[in-house]
Amino acid sequence: MSDQLHEQLEDVFQNVFNDDTMMLRDDTTAAEVDGWDSVAHINLMFALEERFSIQFAGNELAEFENIGALKHYLARKTGATA
Amino acid sequence: MRARWEEPALVMAEQSGTTHEQRAELESAGNALRKAGSFAEAIQHYQQAATASELPCADLCVKIARCHVQLNQPAEALSWLTRVVDVADTYTTWQSAAALLEKVLQTHTPQVKRAVRVAVLGSYTTTQWVPMLRLAALCQGVLIEAYESDFDQYQQDVLDERSGLYTFKPEVIVFAVHDGAAALPEYADDASKAVELEAGRWANLWKTAAQRSGARVIMHNFAVRSDSAMGHLSTRVAGSRYSMMQQLNRAIGEAAGSNVSIVDCDRISATFGKTKWFDDRYWYLSKQAVALDALPMLATHTAAVLAADLGLSRKCLVLDLDNTLWGGVIGEDGLTGIELGNGPRGEAFVALQKYILQLKNKGVILAVCSKNNDADAREPFEKHSDMQMSLDDVSIFVANWQPKHENIRRIAQTLNIGLDSLVFLDDNPAEREIVRQHLPEVDVIALPVDPTGYPQALASYLMFETSSYTAEDSQRAAQYKAKAEIAELQQQTGSLEDFHRSLQMTAVVAPFDELHLPRIVQLIGKTNQFNLTTRRHNIEQVRRFMDDSAYVHLYLKLTDRFADHGLVSLLIARRVGIVLDIESWLMSCRVIGRTVEAELLSQMCRTAEQMGCTRLRGTYIPTAKNVMVQEIFSRFGFEQVSRSEGGETVWEYDLAAHGPIENGFIEVRSTPDVVKQEVSS
Repeated sequence: MSDQLHEQLEDVFQNVFNDDTMMLRDDTTAAEVDGWDSVAHINLMFALEERFSIQFAGNELAEFENIGALKHYLARKTGATA
Repeated sequence: MRARWEEPALVMAEQSGTTHEQRAELESAGNALRKAGSFAEAIQHYQQAATASELPCADLCVKIARCHVQLNQPAEALSWLTRVVDVADTYTTWQSAAALLEKVLQTHTPQVKRAVRVAVLGSYTTTQWVPMLRLAALCQGVLIEAYESDFDQYQQDVLDERSGLYTFKPEVIVFAVHDGAAALPEYADDASKAVELEAGRWANLWKTAAQRSGARVIMHNFAVRSDSAMGHLSTRVAGSRYSMMQQLNRAIGEAAGSNVSIVDCDRISATFGKTKWFDDRYWYLSKQAVALDALPMLATHTAAVLAADLGLSRKCLVLDLDNTLWGGVIGEDGLTGIELGNGPRGEAFVALQKYILQLKNKGVILAVCSKNNDADAREPFEKHSDMQMSLDDVSIFVANWQPKHENIRRIAQTLNIGLDSLVFLDDNPAEREIVRQHLPEVDVIALPVDPTGYPQALASYLMFETSSYTAEDSQRAAQYKAKAEIAELQQQTGSLEDFHRSLQMTAVVAPFDELHLPRIVQLIGKTNQFNLTTRRHNIEQVRRFMDDSAYVHLYLKLTDRFADHGLVSLLIARRVGIVLDIESWLMSCRVIGRTVEAELLSQMCRTAEQMGCTRLRGTYIPTAKNVMVQEIFSRFGFEQVSRSEGGETVWEYDLAAHGPIENGFIEVRSTPDVVKQEVSS
């Protein structure tokens, strides 16, 4: 399950950033990804909503500490195991 | 017994299921290749997957474009990216395509109809929207060089003579504004004064911007929020903000001079759904006033208005007739048999015609392009009481049996307008595909299967947008009609082989059987046009042929990548010594121009050889309706052996000398085994 979620997440990131080689680790943060600015962040959040059929609450949109935290959140929302 | 014959139908259904699976397989194989860096191979897989449906799926278009970028093929990448505009409306796909477009345009300047400098002045964050506007515009052949004001700086940019706006030297200025930018209170005692003042403020901004830059203005009017605390009462209270916002939209429409165009955001937000259009989470987070998912729609509409301002609207609507303007086939069903006026489908065709007439009244030229005998095609226009359109509404009327793309080229030449001024409306996906392939400049509207959806499909086509309306517009059709009558039609030929191959046609050819007998008899009874002898046999007569070993009888069922056409053609022949004499040969006009006739002849040649026949004989008996097949035997190399006074001609083909007639375009899945069939029947 965890791997599947990770792959789905990578696919979303690759589409948003138009980069097929993009790889994510659990401790990846926005700061270390080229082009992950506020606009990209919005695009990312929206793409995640679309892909996982979820809706972030207003304050959840703003920040996730790292990819691991995002995965935990998605797992909880979608009922998958992280 | 019957169950045995139902099998083929089941097999067919499963096969169309596999096509879908194949698509998924091809796509995931493409994904793997792309990730491994084999981009050219990935493109091949994706392109094959894209042929599974009439229009390629948007994600595939983006993936193919990405591969082309990797291969440093920017022109190909752009052509796939612009296709996203027609097939996708989800934000994520558009965002991906628009971002890739930005990247490609940094190093590559495409060939376009117009390049234009566009400044976008926003009252909200337009960062996500501007790349989408560029994408939508490029799809109309317009390359935008863009300037974007900082967030909510539209007034400062206009009022400051030394602002970045004027340094940019825009040719078009787009005011991308939202409800919150209208300075109106929640309630005003003097509503009309408040509205007048606010409309005046906007008019002044347009005027100042236009005077200082010489640019045209495109104004987004206000998507009016529907969350009024006053509820339904607000429509009765002129001073409510809800009422004033609606008044304001009307007032700015009236204030817009000839250099200002309006994009009716209130209408498109309503079409989109206002509860979705306003997603306040994104406003609070990033001052994005239009929901991200609505941005593509806003981009396509703005691009359509921009293209109209630049004189790039489409001028002419080319119309198919059978099953497009009315239900059924006039040449087969006759004046009383076509669906028009009565019943849900009949009413839908009336509605479509009325909408088309509205387009004509605003200046769109109408042309007819139909595969029909000319007299048949004109009959409903002249005689059907529910027909909304008259022949006078049509500037050029082309009804013949030539391929449509050739006729459309003639229509453009006759009217002396470019192919890129034409829009093609046809119910038949195969005709649409041939026009797309041969005439990529022509816009082709993808109609739904159900005719009740036709008017809406046409209404959602945006490129008949015009920036002004004059009395002259409604006269345009008449002018073009006169022009068309004078002009001499020149015929152009184009190769059909690629089209035929691209249809991926497969057929089942088999001897008559009980299961198909009702359809066979129906086809014999009603086929008029492609019918060599027009002999109307009833079910008992057909059964006698089936029981008589001297007779060969074949039907053909056709499937292509668009549709399963069912049983569309048949042939009955009688063996007389070494001669196989064609008694009846007919084909539904739905599938004319796809080599079905050649295929059935070629199958018959095979049967003749198996039976030891060395000559084929055919007869043509002329009727009022079957002119289209009078030359068919000579086309396949038959020689005329006799001609009666009534015009009946007899033809023969020397199978021993010339060999069997061949057709390479249809894959035949089960060839008939005549002897076996006779034993089992």
